[in-house]
Amino acid sequence: MAEAREALAKWYDPATLGLLEGTPINCLLVTFSTGAGPEAEHQQHQLVKGYAGLARARGIAVLGIVYPGADPEAVAAAAREAQLDGLVLDGEFPAGFADKLGPVRVIPIQRATASLRTSRAPLLAIEGVRPSARNLSDMGIRAEASAEPWIESNIWLVGSFRLGTEWRPIWINQQPNPSSQGDYVRCVADAALAGGRWMVSIDDDLRARLFRKDPDALATWRSIGAYLKFGEDHAEWRHFAPYGNLGVILDIAGKNPDITDEYLNLLTRRHVPYRLVLRSELSAASLSSFQAVLAVDLAPPTGAERKILCDFAEKGGLVVAGPSWGDPPKDDPYAEVPVGKGRVAVYKDDPPDPEAVAKDMMDLLDPEVMGLNVFNVPSGITYATATGGRVLVQLLNYAGRPIDRVTIRFNGNFKTARLYTPESPPLDLSIHATGNGRTELLIPKLAAWGAVLLE
Amino acid sequence: MEDVRGTFSRRDLLAVSGLAAGALGVRRAAADVVVPTSPVTVAKVASYDLDLVAQIEQMFDQIGGIGPQVRGKTVAMKVNLTGSSGRGRQVGLTAGQTSWVHPNVVGALTAVFAKLGAKRIRILESTFRKKYGTPLEDTLLNDGWDVNAIKNAASIVEFEDTNGLGSAKQYSTLKVKSRPYVFPAFSLNHSYEDCDFFVSVAKMKNHEELGVTLSMKNLFGITPELLYGLGPKPPGASQWVRERVFHYGQVQPPSGVPQELDPTSNRYEGWRMPRLLTDICGARPIDLAIIDGIEAIIGGEGSGMPGTKHGKPGLLVVGRNCVSTDAVAMAVMGYNPRAGRHEAPFRLYKGSHEHPKEQLIPPEEWHQYADNTAMMGEGAGLGTADLSKIDLRGVPIKDAVYDYEAHWKGQAPV
Repeated sequence: MAEAREALAKWYDPATLGLLEGTPINCLLVTFSTGAGPEAEHQQHQLVKGYAGLARARGIAVLGIVYPGADPEAVAAAAREAQLDGLVLDGEFPAGFADKLGPVRVIPIQRATASLRTSRAPLLAIEGVRPSARNLSDMGIRAEASAEPWIESNIWLVGSFRLGTEWRPIWINQQPNPSSQGDYVRCVADAALAGGRWMVSIDDDLRARLFRKDPDALATWRSIGAYLKFGEDHAEWRHFAPYGNLGVILDIAGKNPDITDEYLNLLTRRHVPYRLVLRSELSAASLSSFQAVLAVDLAPPTGAERKILCDFAEKGGLVVAGPSWGDPPKDDPYAEVPVGKGRVAVYKDDPPDPEAVAKDMMDLLDPEVMGLNVFNVPSGITYATATGGRVLVQLLNYAGRPIDRVTIRFNGNFKTARLYTPESPPLDLSIHATGNGRTELLIPKLAAWGAVLLE
Repeated sequence: MEDVRGTFSRRDLLAVSGLAAGALGVRRAAADVVVPTSPVTVAKVASYDLDLVAQIEQMFDQIGGIGPQVRGKTVAMKVNLTGSSGRGRQVGLTAGQTSWVHPNVVGALTAVFAKLGAKRIRILESTFRKKYGTPLEDTLLNDGWDVNAIKNAASIVEFEDTNGLGSAKQYSTLKVKSRPYVFPAFSLNHSYEDCDFFVSVAKMKNHEELGVTLSMKNLFGITPELLYGLGPKPPGASQWVRERVFHYGQVQPPSGVPQELDPTSNRYEGWRMPRLLTDICGARPIDLAIIDGIEAIIGGEGSGMPGTKHGKPGLLVVGRNCVSTDAVAMAVMGYNPRAGRHEAPFRLYKGSHEHPKEQLIPPEEWHQYADNTAMMGEGAGLGTADLSKIDLRGVPIKDAVYDYEAHWKGQAPV
């Protein structure tokens, strides 16, 4: 315990900067202000000033973390003196706090995300969750015999900011569950699959052991570096556009933002690929590339919105709506109503239960409409993107053991499929056409992060 | 065991001694039915990666061989894929290690039947999906099965989802050939008629509503949800079609489908289902029962249920008679095969949120229960659940016991 305290107290020793060598980390977040007394704050500011100077000499940017209770004017002055590249606000701050920090770049770690999706900020920092997979029974939840593991993931959250084809950095802030090396690398991958990045945060125990140069701790640190490097080596993947024949209409001013987020979370959880359409941009043109639309956020739809959706269904599309669409079923969870060449599925409950909707998509969407079918990933999540005829299917396994035999089917005829993982060289996979315009491939074993590039 | 009035009835005595249902069974059997019996063999198998083909061949020899029964014939295997999505499992484990039969067992059986000269092998299960039409093979892919390897294990291997019509134009009506309790006949997917040799490939598990699920309970999955669910759902009825028709008797099957013998009989699931399962086994007799207990979920039929845990009993049980095979399986699970409703595993603890209130503790009892399906089978003349009358081969029971109750409750020796 004493050793750990000593290690943590000396964490801003210049020697710790050596840990960054060989990693792609080029920015450090250091504790700058915690709202402590003036003397303690001044000491911290001076400590960071020295450390930041050494980091800058190595080409590493330094941001100071500010916690609630800090004096904004004092923080601003100290930040200028330390020549910090910016300040990160972690917590709930009084209104106007950021403005009092002056011209220094300020990056708040955001918790309420709905309105941020249309933000024009060049980068965003978001509070996320600890990636994990757990048995429902271990969580004290009584479920059916065939209940699946519960997965906490940030993939849907990062993906929810891809409203168009443009990419911008989304930084996920969360403390990992420090029980194993696998937990850290999953944090890296979980943020990266949809194009985000994890603000690498290591727990006190790992920090203390790194300071002592403990071999196991160094191995863990190297694995984090390897996963970060894998992400940077394939930076072009971030610019692939989200894939999905299902459009989810998003009302960022909706009355149930948490429920809306759950639709996105659980669709992703069930490997249902989708793209987002803002309610404000709903039009015939914006729906033209979809085959199905989830419109439960339109509660109720306006007359113009209803016409757009009816026209979409008439031409053969599927609209999934809540009871405000009209004529909801009395007993069954939802009812399908033919409309022209297509149909509308109207749910009984208001709002429809996100878990039920996500599960029902497996029945409502034919495989060819789903576009992507993944088999044998119950403790994993997939994320599909595409660009110029190439398709990238990324997978992350949240279980502590590898999965054997993951089968993927995807619309289209492809000639090659190559598997990329941080652990191994690229592997060409055997693929074959299924005879109905789809391609099937098998991943023999998936340890944690895998990416299949179809060309 | 005393009821709230502090009296101890003769019924209690019979129940405690495990003879309540058994006594009924013996009485009926003695009256006019000769209860068949057949050898049952038990093997200790430590891993699915061992040579299961050789193991199964040895077990078939131990029960007298089945070559003449399968040579040149169509063999149908009804496998147990609880929930049928393949996604329900514990983190880091496959469904085959917990609630499903394992693909290595199915693959080995396919290979052995092929070696014995079976002309055609069909793998069957009802996948319980709202939308019919997904190939059964896709369900198997969801647990990482090497479907191609199983297909290549014999010259003709077919898969069919029997939750609906499948590849036929109509359902087959199979009459209960034993003494029926609840239904006189069932309408089933054609596959259960279009076969010469029928195998129940079950997983060795506890069951929330029936105590245990073995080769007889496995056959509940042959009832097509899409047929029995044609009628509208009455208000308040279970959303699960098969439950409201079979488990609770809330509705009768649609017109044209064999109806219940007595719609006024007991609606309690614990009374009804063991008898109904016996009827199903009487309609579609089991020629060979295989029970996979190499690895299994302990404490319930699926991984989502609280308190369940993964276990490695390391057991395979094989027999020609489903009642006897289930009885032996119960014994190696540490249970009394002739146990009554007041003792493990038939004294139950069903979740109050998932069952109608009247399906928890029935008026005539002081706790939840299920009657012993094997004893119901004995009572209907399907076979004997009396270990003293069963020709046991392979590993003796006392050397094979893996106490499911003890492991479930964390009381087994480490």
